[in-house]
Amino acid sequence: MKRFFGACVAALLATAVPAAAQSFDWKSQNGQTINLMFNNHPWSQAMRDLVKDFQAKTGITARVEIFNEEQYRARLQTLMQGKSADMDVFMSLTSREGAIFNRAGWYADLAPMIKNASQTAPDFNYEDFGASIRAASTFGQQVVAIPINQEGPLFYWRKDLFEKCKVAEPKFLEELATAAAALKKCDANQGVWAARGIRSITPYALAGFVYNSGGSFMTPDGKPGMEQPNTMKGLELYATMLRDYGPPGALNHTFTQITELLGQGRVAMTHESSNEFANITRFPNRANDLGVKVLPPGKDSGVSKPVAIGWTVAISANSKRQQAAWLFLQWATSREVQTKLVNNGVAPPRASVFQGEEFNAWTKEMPIRKAWADALIELGKTGTGVYQTNTDRVPEARDIIGGAMQAIYQGKSPAEAAKTADAELAKLQ
Amino acid sequence: MAQSGTRNSYRWMVAPAVIFAAAMIVYPFCYALWLSFSDVQLGSDPRFIGFGNYTRMLADGEFWNGLRLTFFLYFMALGAQLVLGTWLGLLLARSQSARGLVRTVMVSPFMLPPVVIGMMAIVILDPSFGIANWILAQVGLPPALWLSDPSTVMVTIAALDTWQWTPFVALIVMGGYLSLPHDVFEAAEMDGANGWFRFRYVTLPLLMPTLITATVLRSVDILRFFDVIYITTQGGPGNASTTLNILAYRRGFEFSELGYASAVMVTLSAIVFGSVLVFARLRKAAAW
Repeated sequence: MKRFFGACVAALLATAVPAAAQSFDWKSQNGQTINLMFNNHPWSQAMRDLVKDFQAKTGITARVEIFNEEQYRARLQTLMQGKSADMDVFMSLTSREGAIFNRAGWYADLAPMIKNASQTAPDFNYEDFGASIRAASTFGQQVVAIPINQEGPLFYWRKDLFEKCKVAEPKFLEELATAAAALKKCDANQGVWAARGIRSITPYALAGFVYNSGGSFMTPDGKPGMEQPNTMKGLELYATMLRDYGPPGALNHTFTQITELLGQGRVAMTHESSNEFANITRFPNRANDLGVKVLPPGKDSGVSKPVAIGWTVAISANSKRQQAAWLFLQWATSREVQTKLVNNGVAPPRASVFQGEEFNAWTKEMPIRKAWADALIELGKTGTGVYQTNTDRVPEARDIIGGAMQAIYQGKSPAEAAKTADAELAKLQ
Repeated sequence: MAQSGTRNSYRWMVAPAVIFAAAMIVYPFCYALWLSFSDVQLGSDPRFIGFGNYTRMLADGEFWNGLRLTFFLYFMALGAQLVLGTWLGLLLARSQSARGLVRTVMVSPFMLPPVVIGMMAIVILDPSFGIANWILAQVGLPPALWLSDPSTVMVTIAALDTWQWTPFVALIVMGGYLSLPHDVFEAAEMDGANGWFRFRYVTLPLLMPTLITATVLRSVDILRFFDVIYITTQGGPGNASTTLNILAYRRGFEFSELGYASAVMVTLSAIVFGSVLVFARLRKAAAW
């Protein structure tokens, strides 16, 4: 009987050991070292300081490298094309490169890890990320990345200057040019407008002008549609606003110059990324005198369709430390870390954080924060991550679209610029 | 017998260095050459397509635009650097008192990393923020768009390179001049040759090998000039500063067309190599 009892206890223990092994443990990869490669972004800047918390929690050493976007992409491509196992975690803009990277097999599939209870923290709750945000990083059944923020271009304007010059806040897209002219007339020394001019990065800010004008980058049958009348109208408005009311040298401007111009008070309006909110409001007085909202809708079209995208973090398919990397992804996108990141101006992609007490308390501290949060909710509801023609070669397509805007700025007719762009875009399909 | 043994052991001693150099130079070049004959899809192995990338290049307007801009920059920057460098070098060589201090100051621009030069240019030449337009305004001149205007961007980039590298040419010229036999100049002076004639018929011919050496060094650098252009304009506005280097970088790393980008770079390498060969022959002809 004793022997039988002993055997039963042994059998129970034997089944209990694998059960214990299956429970999630943050320390399961203790002692590992992972390499993280990030693009320069408010999220990665904050992560550089926070990563020590991850190391304390997991015992994993995380080495962070941050590069400016151009260098980042070049390095990422070199490492991945060379099938290097040195890099474990990387940032990815899946709306831009997701399809092409996925086809190349560069992303590790996160779906099995999410489903595995021994690998995923019980409170991770993947469904907490908005459905559209999750969809942007899902190809078929494969989850390629976890969202780290949500962003889109927003309309920032100086309320004080508008009041001083008795110019009404633009309610419709078409009123931007009228407001710009009135502000210029009121004070010829005051800069009026600034927006992106470098062609490859312009479509991010330009797309709202096209969509709100009633245009689209594609025809209903999926062909390049730059020659559609409303598309040309949006293109022309963006280019002429930049040419007639923008700062000199605007074609070489990216978000860094726009942020400086608005922050220093040299311009009265811009259409720039929601990410730049924290940087802009760090300048003296800007937190008090700025207004922020999504780009006004088109008056004739009645359309308000902003660009809404999100950066993500992914695990390299070549990584030999995918379990440790997955722990990093969970920690970095956890509710706890996203709540901390709000102070760095990183808009949380988790619904629970966005609707949480901490975020609400933060937005209530200043009216402009509330306006920014409301604009982000609007981006989430009505935004789109598609702002090019139907192609896998997204960067090239966006470069061509930005090139059309530059051509109009330099004096080409919208019809001529759009025709050239359509011919080039057709080659990418 | 003992001598040949020593020679063999020397060969073995230099072998690691030769193998290392070959691995670092020959292998990447051969790989780029192979890629230039291939269609490279991200994540998969290159697929051989013969001269496909080269025939596409010949029909590509952006390639010809890049070639034109590369040569424009080459002739403009090289010409300016040789003329100004020679003038400065001779001036320094003849001025005993200023040489030490001025030489130190002159060396500083080409000691700076290209990233610093690029960032300085962005700040100084920005039409809204920069000090360059403020200076123009102080002397009553209209503001310029510098790097933002398609008609001035390449001249501005050539000026930046000239500012950075003229001192380098000047130092080479100064060194060359100081090593020349001075009795020739004294003889010319005694024969009544004036300043211009002495420069044209004595100094310049004697300096020619030095100048060709400077030309070779600067040719290689200017033809593969990339960093400052990319930092300041990224090839814009439009394609106004998209030299072959910028074109290849964008096609390779932004648009993931590694095969086509390699074809452009192999072509540029051939141009660089060709220019070095031409100047090496000229140097032999100019030797005295």
